[in-house]
Amino acid sequence: MEKIQDFSKIKFRIKDQVYEGIVMPRTLYEDEDHITVKLSNGYNIGIEKSKIEILKIEPQKAQSEVIQEKEFESHGPKILIIGTGGTISSKIDYRTGAVKPAFTASQIVDMVPEIKSIASINVKTIMNELSENMQPSNWTLMAKEVHDAFESGYEGIVIAHGTDTMHYSASALSFAIENPKGPVVFVGSQRSSDRPSSDAATNLLGAVTFAAKSYSPGVYVAMHASLDDDIIAIHKGVKVRKNHTSRRDAFKSINARPFAFVDIKKQEIRFTENKQEVKGSMRLYEKFSERAALLKFYPGISDKYLLSIFNKDLFDAIIIEGTGLGHVSRKAFPYLKDYIRNEGFIGMTSQCIWGSVRLTVYETGRDLLSIGVTPLEDMLSEVALVKSMWALGNGFNLKEIMPKNLRGEISERREVQ
Amino acid sequence: MKVGFEIHIQVNSARKLFCNCNPKNEDISHLEFRRRLRVSSSELGEIDPAAAFEIKKGLDIIYVSGDKTSCLVEADEEPPHEPDPYSVEAAIKVSNMLNAFVVDEIHFMRKIVVDGSNTSGFQRTAIVGLNGNFDFRGKNVRIQTVCLEEDAARLQEKGEGHSKYELKRLGIPLLEITTEPLEISSEEARALAESLGRTLKLTGLFARGLGTIRQDVNVSLEGGGIVEVKGVQKLEQVSKVIDFEEKRHKMLFEIAAKLKERGVNEDSFEIDPIDVSEIFKSYANPTVKKFFKDSAMALKAPGFKGLLSYETVPDSRIGLDLADICRLFGFKGIIHSDEILKYGFGNDILNQIEDRLKVTDNDAYVLVFGDKEKAALCLQMVKERLKMAIKGPVAETRYATDKGTTRYLRPRPGASRMYPETDIPTIKITKEMKDKFKIEVKSWEKAVEDFSFRYSINKEMAEQILDSDFIDFFENAAESFPNVPPTLIASLIVQVFIPYQNVGKNIEYDEFIKLIELFSKGSIAKEAVIDLARYMLEKGLSLDNALKEMNIEKLSVDDLRKIIQEKISEVLQENIEPTKLYGTLMGRVMSVVRGKIEGKIVDEEVRKALESLKKD
Repeated sequence: MEKIQDFSKIKFRIKDQVYEGIVMPRTLYEDEDHITVKLSNGYNIGIEKSKIEILKIEPQKAQSEVIQEKEFESHGPKILIIGTGGTISSKIDYRTGAVKPAFTASQIVDMVPEIKSIASINVKTIMNELSENMQPSNWTLMAKEVHDAFESGYEGIVIAHGTDTMHYSASALSFAIENPKGPVVFVGSQRSSDRPSSDAATNLLGAVTFAAKSYSPGVYVAMHASLDDDIIAIHKGVKVRKNHTSRRDAFKSINARPFAFVDIKKQEIRFTENKQEVKGSMRLYEKFSERAALLKFYPGISDKYLLSIFNKDLFDAIIIEGTGLGHVSRKAFPYLKDYIRNEGFIGMTSQCIWGSVRLTVYETGRDLLSIGVTPLEDMLSEVALVKSMWALGNGFNLKEIMPKNLRGEISERREVQ
Repeated sequence: MKVGFEIHIQVNSARKLFCNCNPKNEDISHLEFRRRLRVSSSELGEIDPAAAFEIKKGLDIIYVSGDKTSCLVEADEEPPHEPDPYSVEAAIKVSNMLNAFVVDEIHFMRKIVVDGSNTSGFQRTAIVGLNGNFDFRGKNVRIQTVCLEEDAARLQEKGEGHSKYELKRLGIPLLEITTEPLEISSEEARALAESLGRTLKLTGLFARGLGTIRQDVNVSLEGGGIVEVKGVQKLEQVSKVIDFEEKRHKMLFEIAAKLKERGVNEDSFEIDPIDVSEIFKSYANPTVKKFFKDSAMALKAPGFKGLLSYETVPDSRIGLDLADICRLFGFKGIIHSDEILKYGFGNDILNQIEDRLKVTDNDAYVLVFGDKEKAALCLQMVKERLKMAIKGPVAETRYATDKGTTRYLRPRPGASRMYPETDIPTIKITKEMKDKFKIEVKSWEKAVEDFSFRYSINKEMAEQILDSDFIDFFENAAESFPNVPPTLIASLIVQVFIPYQNVGKNIEYDEFIKLIELFSKGSIAKEAVIDLARYMLEKGLSLDNALKEMNIEKLSVDDLRKIIQEKISEVLQENIEPTKLYGTLMGRVMSVVRGKIEGKIVDEEVRKALESLKKD
């Protein structure tokens, strides 16, 4: 049987029963021996093509939902919402069930009408990437856009981003923009915005509220603080990590408390520490090098693997996620020594996630120090990787700049919590 | 009159449809979280006004999650797992049993539900079988669809500004079987629901007990809309509900005719709610103080004088529907002009309201006290409801009460907002599965016969137990206490449980298992079992307290013998005929020991005592 055009009206017979419906598109993962029919009661069913006797087909034009941009008035500080892709920027097509990108100002206002009275918003979509596809070149583009937006008078920026690598991007922009003129708030969603239970609306509301009302320059991530829908946590871009595959409170500040909380209902911001002051003028360092790598150490790591990673021809900097306080097996020492002798940079972080590395406690640590490994305190391994890519890209001396606290990526003290 | 059913029955699976929680587990701890559901404003139009209003004002939904009966999936914090294979199999078996066409691929859909009963904001549902049939009294009843879907969370409380739901029931697999509406009497409809329900129960695929089978009943009269009545749990309600709806529909046609006579048409409803707060502000009589806080809104009901309180069966009046609409918005109720005199506002106020609303001879009006904005929205919905009365009975969703009447729930939703559940891949149903997943239709008569034979109880009792929610209780008690005659357990169910359940009493299984255990140990007499059970349910007492209050204690055989000896000496002094000796003695002894010891033992001991007397 030849392919029936999607969205055709169809009337067919199976055995002695006649059915009517609309032929729906099939996904890539569904075979071609069946057709999907939407019955008049709204249900879809799948039927083997060979079973049906077609009585009538009326091809119809696929009516994609036309998104009409509506005019709206909004009041408050000038905020730019930048769309980059991901769950938060996509919408389901009710007819096909396909998730497609859609991120326009009027759609956002439609989803979160409260925004209109909080900020005067503009929306700009600069790319449409799932977060796993983000590259350092995307960070560069985002950094430039943010820089330009501040230069042109925006008071705050909100970046809608896929959640998987949102903390990498937040980290990248933290380093790329020195002394941003206002808040840059990354926001994502763990439940797609087509479902009534989506966290997209409240996260966005929290992000815009913080961007418009906090007067706290810096790069942040705004996501649910708990399973409740009313409190949004504002994390510092260099202290945050996605810690759960699906929960809406997946993002947690590590070795720090969230910088602030936004109470959605009361429209209040509660800070947990003093606001950051702008110390100098805004400057952009937008380049990133891909000659850095992240290695997670594990028992049984093979020599071949170590040899291929600690290769100065490929990488100029290696960030190690060591065990515990920052250790690797003695058997790796020769590769590390060689690499450092060839002027490679090795930074040590911990795979424990929480806590700081300390290379002076055990002999292994002291050996690593004498080899020339640089301990990176409580910097998250992902942040250390991004920072080294940034440092390499902009020609900084890694040995000097990596252990230095530039954007709050290293905490001097860790509170008892 | 046409009647159709949607039967919802819980699949007896050890897990939920989209996760591995077993709802039969006991929770150790509970956790609460707060959510809000949203739909974009462009979609609000698709939702009924009361629900849309709740969303707009940001109604808080509180969910209670038990640690063993729900997980991140029910909390909408984890994608659904693969659908429960047992439930899929059950759906195919039932579709086959009902001669339905089994689809080749199951596509789960999301049906938007925004009242909070689903954490996700939608219910997952799929068609498995289509176009089946069911043989009922020689009629071929068409089965439109067999759907596999997830049950909703149970509403625990609805307060001002929030609803609280418990997650245990959310996600339990349900089969929904929809019959084509049939021209049928209420009695036939009841029998059809019974017959279909029994056939389904006999498959052994479904859970048994209270709330495991629920039916929605659709009723329509020629020329009128289809009214869907939700939540009919008991079969006895089915015919009552249908009779009630038939009378109510006829009444609505009568009212429509009267409105037409009075010249009421669509144009008559070009009116808006009016703020009448000013009128109440200047009065301070007790009635005004009771109702009026800071705002009052009123709406004219054109041509409705006398029709708001008109009813042909109790609780069928339109006024009650209007009050229910207002309750959806969180108001306590409404006051309308057909009933306003009994409140005692004073003629002055009433005259002023009538003036403001420009009420003429045939008109009525409706008053709502409370938040102005909310009252205005609510009265808009009241207006829509009144406007519909021109046409007679219109499509709406109602719910069944215990009395067998129905109350207004919401307007009938338009074409359901349904879209594919993209988190669940389609399930292929192969020919092998279709051939393998078959189940025999068992005859009810045979099942009753088998049951009655297995437990040596009469057929009448067997049937009543099989039809009841207590079959698990029966089997459990009969297996656990083999020395207890099954007829006693059966009597307990038939004579006590069923009648008390019918008047709305909750039967706590564990307490009654203890009662049977007590009997099995010989601590109480057979007669006491039924009496105690009645007493417990009547007074709402635990077994221990009922025992105390009824002054029941165990009598030892030694004590019994003493009592028998006392009574023998009494009787002997009275010169009673020897043939009547046993009867008299037995009567005297029983009057003292009834309920405290097994009657069989009393009989034995009395006979023994008389034997030894003869020997003497």
